[in-house]
This record gives sequence, C-alpha cells and structure tokens, in this order.
Amino acid sequence: MPLGFEVLRLDRVGKRYPMGDVIVDALVDASFTLSEGEAVAILGPSGSGKSTLMHLLGFLDSPSSGEIFFENRPVASLNESQRARVRAEKIGFVFQAFNLLPRLSVRANVALPLAYHGSPPDDAEDRVDRALDLVGMTNRAHHKPGELSGGQRQRVAIARALVNEPRILLADEPTGNLDTKTAAAILDLFKELNRLGRTIVVVTHSPEIAAHFRRQLHVRDGLVTEGGFA
Amino acid sequence: MRRLFSGVVNGFAEIWGHKLRSLLTISCVMLGVASMVLTTGFMEGFFKGWEVSLQEQGGIEKISTTAQGVKERQAPLAAVSPGLTRADARAIAALVPQAAVVSPEIEATRPRLVRGGKSFEGRRGARVLGVTNAILEINRYEVASGRAFSDLDLHDDAEVIIIGSKIRDRLFALGEEPLGAFIDFNDRPFRVIGLLQHYERLWGTYNTLDWKNEIAFVPVTTMATKVQRSDRLSYLNFKAADITRLRETVDAASNVLAQQHRGIIDFNVRTNEEQLASFASTKASFVIGGSAIAGVSLLVSGIGIMNLMLASINERVREIGIRKAVGATPFNIFSQFVAEAVTLSLLGGAAGVAVAVALIKVLSATLPPGSTPLLSPSAFVVGFIFSVSAGVLAGIYPAIQAAKLDPIEALRYE
Repeated sequence: MPLGFEVLRLDRVGKRYPMGDVIVDALVDASFTLSEGEAVAILGPSGSGKSTLMHLLGFLDSPSSGEIFFENRPVASLNESQRARVRAEKIGFVFQAFNLLPRLSVRANVALPLAYHGSPPDDAEDRVDRALDLVGMTNRAHHKPGELSGGQRQRVAIARALVNEPRILLADEPTGNLDTKTAAAILDLFKELNRLGRTIVVVTHSPEIAAHFRRQLHVRDGLVTEGGFA
Repeated sequence: MRRLFSGVVNGFAEIWGHKLRSLLTISCVMLGVASMVLTTGFMEGFFKGWEVSLQEQGGIEKISTTAQGVKERQAPLAAVSPGLTRADARAIAALVPQAAVVSPEIEATRPRLVRGGKSFEGRRGARVLGVTNAILEINRYEVASGRAFSDLDLHDDAEVIIIGSKIRDRLFALGEEPLGAFIDFNDRPFRVIGLLQHYERLWGTYNTLDWKNEIAFVPVTTMATKVQRSDRLSYLNFKAADITRLRETVDAASNVLAQQHRGIIDFNVRTNEEQLASFASTKASFVIGGSAIAGVSLLVSGIGIMNLMLASINERVREIGIRKAVGATPFNIFSQFVAEAVTLSLLGGAAGVAVAVALIKVLSATLPPGSTPLLSPSAFVVGFIFSVSAGVLAGIYPAIQAAKLDPIEALRYE
C-alpha cells in the first residue's frame, strides 16, 4: 500500500523528568515520521520509554526538548484546550485496561468523544452505529461494560477510538489484558482497520505482537531506532 | 445546550450511583431551602397582616392630630391657647382645601356601658367616642345594620349610640334585637341606632382587629355637652385629599391650627407615614435576620455539596483521565462537575420547596386563618436561586480541582 501524507513528525524530541533526586531521560532525541495509512509497532521492554512516547504522540504530555508536528503544525503552538480538541477530533486512544466508563452503556461509551467534538457531527448516531458494527458489538450496545468479557470491552474501546474517524489510532498494549485467542482477534481487527486505510500505532513489549505490523520502532533506554519494515 | 443536557444526565447517573450519599446531601439542601421558603412565607404573612392593620387604621392618607404639652419656652403662655376643640375641626374643613374629610373625636374618660345588670367597663373595657360620621370613612368602620348619625342627631345632641360587635355580644343575649334598645352610657340612656360590622384578623387565636369591635360612637355634640362637658377634642383626624400631597396637607393644617391656638404649639400632627417608616425598619431587620438564616443554610448546604463533590472526584480520577484522553478540555471537565453539583442542589431545592409547600398547607389547615404563612411566588424564586447558587458556589472549587488533573497521572490512578 502506498504511503500517504505525513500525520505525525517528531524532531529530536526528548523527555526528561525528575524522579526523586535523579533526572531520568525517558526519551532522547527521537526523530521519526508517521504517515497516513501506516501500521506501526513501537516495541520495547517495560521502562524503556515507550509509554512516554505514546503520551507524547497523543498530546497527553509535552516534550522537554525538540518538537512534535501534527499535520505539519507544531503541537507546542496549541494550548491545552486546543490540544484536547485535536485529540477529540483526530486521535483515537486504546488502552491496555480498556478504560471504559463503568456507569455508561456500551453505546454511551462509544459516543463519548463526540461530546467533546468541536462541532458535533449531524450523523453522530450513525457514526456510533458504524463504529459498533465495525468491531462487531452492535448487539451489546445497551450493556454495561461490566457485563462484557475482556475482548468485548476492548472492542468497545476500539469503537470509541474510531467514532471520530481519527487520523491516527494509538493503542497502548491493547492485548496486554487478553488471552492469546482474544488477543489474536483484536490484532486481526487492527489489521483489518489498517487495510481500510486507518493509521495505527501499537505500543507493545512483545516482539510477537510487533511482528504483525509492517513497521517497527524499537525503544530502549529512551532511544528510538527504526526496526525495519517487515 | 446538548452538552448541558448530557451534563445533567450524567449528574443523575452519578447521583443514582451513590444513593445514600446523594440523599444526605440533597436533604441538606432540602432543609435549607424549606426553612428559607417557610421563613419567607411567615415574613410575608406577617407583613401582609401589618398592611391590613394599617389599612384598618385609616391607611397612609390619614392624618391625626392630638393635644400635647407645650415646649418649655411656651409654658407660661400655654393658657392663651383654647386647646384642640371642635372649632379647629371647622377651621381645617374651611381653610385647608387639601384635607378631604375632617373627624373631630372626643373620647369618654371613664366610659361605663350598662344594660339590665350587664356592664362593659374598666380598663380593658369599651371605648366610647363622640364623633361625626367622618370617623366611619377615616377609620374604616362600616355600619352593618341600623343607621349612621343624622344631621339632626348632631344638631340636637341626641342620645343615640352606635355599638361594635363585642359590646353587643356583652350587653345583649343571643337573638335579642339591639336596634332601638337603650343602653346606659355613664348613667344616661342612649338609644342604639346602629351596629358596626364585626372585624376579624386572627394571629393565632388572637384577633388583631378586636379593638375595632370594642368601640361605641355617640354624636360628638352629645359627648361635648352631656358627657364630658368640654369642647376639648381627644383627636382631630382628617384625610389628605391627594396622597401625593401629604406633606403639604400636614403643613397647611399645622399653620391653621397654630393660628387657631394663637401660636401655641400644643398639638401634634402625625401621619401614618411615620408608622410606615418604623414598619419599614422592622421589615428591614426581619429581612436581615432572614438573610442571615438563609446565609447559614446556604453555607451548610454548600459544605454538604462540596464534600460530596470532592469525595466523588476522588473516586473518579480515572474517569477524568479517560475523558481527557478522548478529548475533554479542562473546561469540559469543569462544567461537567458544576452541572452535577447544580443538579444535586436543584433536586434538593425542589424537595425543599415541596416540603415547605406541604408544611404551609398543613399549617393553613390547622392554624386559624390569618396567622398562617403565605405561599408566594417569591418564595419559589428564592428557593430556586438559593439552590442554584449553592450548587454553583460549592461546585466551583471541586470542579477546578477536577479540571486541573493531569491526564497521565489520572489514567495511572487505581
């Protein structure tokens, strides 16, 4: 598949923070570009800095040095509310712990990002339906997350991440809490989404999972290296 | 609008999720609002009662003149003045066009009303006034049966009397016809020609208008010549023709009286305005007292709500992180929590108003009419404003705390 336009670009991005008396370099001079339609695995052992990288990619955190560009615009030029708005409209998050709101129904959980959309789309209801359909959870729409299995919850979380039709889908250990069989199904879902053109970044500590993705970025001790294209 | 709605829906879900805790907080607000609405209701009932009693005394257009001691520097000359007499009433009627109705009144010093062994006298007894028909208009009396005085009655110093309902009750047996009967007033027989209407406005079991029932009228001429044997007036009341020119009327009357009394100021011209002013200051202190109660209840409800919100935010750190991750701005989070606090306090407010209305209904049914609190629209407005402001004020601080949470920390929070 031909690669499209640049979505995210990191230019010598570093992140350091104090931990007790020492200053930890969680990320050092990371430079890479993510393009439209890519499927990328960020692979590294725990504590390697991959979660920090994930947070930076989703504007949940700001770099200590260097610059991040989203759609060619420097993220540093946006204030907190503007970054939240971009997150609501163009970035989808999937977490290891699913992070669904337990009191809301599946449907309401999926619809959540639409509430924070700058101009709520007219077809909001349709979008929720489409997202639920895409992950195969239409028949569970009125259940509460507590009534679902882990794999089903992650599907709901993915639907939530997709409901705004984001430019990029960021997944942090999405299969970490799932058994092997369910994990494989979720990975298949990601591959299917990518085949449909969605840009996907998956953070994982498992080389096996990373192997499912065309491009791999290795993170070790805060250093990011290109792991080559599969 | 849609966001506000979803905030309220969310608020309901949260309130439902913590039933007991929310119920306790709602009761705080409920008690506060209920006490507010009741206090307002009682105050309005009281003020209304006062207004009625002012009306029954002649309203604010009534101007009353009484005799009073002269100032020290005029004391040696005091005897020069003829005092307050019927001549003054005639002078005011003739010379003060701003005065509409003039009522000269002479009160019997020791009235004794006796009929067939039954008597009405003593300190807590009846008052008997020598009057003209003007008093009926000025002091708002209505002759319910019989008639008022005729010109002939006044001209002939007729021994006729108009009596209030309490005097009738005391001197006449049930079913006995008072009209045409004779009553001994200070040992002189007077024929009953009229009965006054019965006046009643209860404050508890006490009739605040009873003084209007314990009164009897005889012609002022009769009182002057046959009973008091003096032309001195106890009161000289008149009415301002134009209420907007009250001050002017008082001044004109004072001038005429000063002239009549040869410059001796042995009279005092008063208006109900002063009473109105003292009422206003009473009202102000009531309002201040009421506001203090309101303030304390507001504080208590506010503390309750804030406590609940802080506890709730502590439990929902992760939710806040999730919401921020999917794109909530700090302001979104802030408004969500304020909306929740307001929802909570509005529920409390609605419950409070309901409780107050129920209590007022019960009180109206059990207490005699007149002493019950009034249910006014302002009470609802007060209750509504009260609960919304309690919610907003108490919600702001916790909501700011929530909005400030770092999403990464919040997502890590277990």
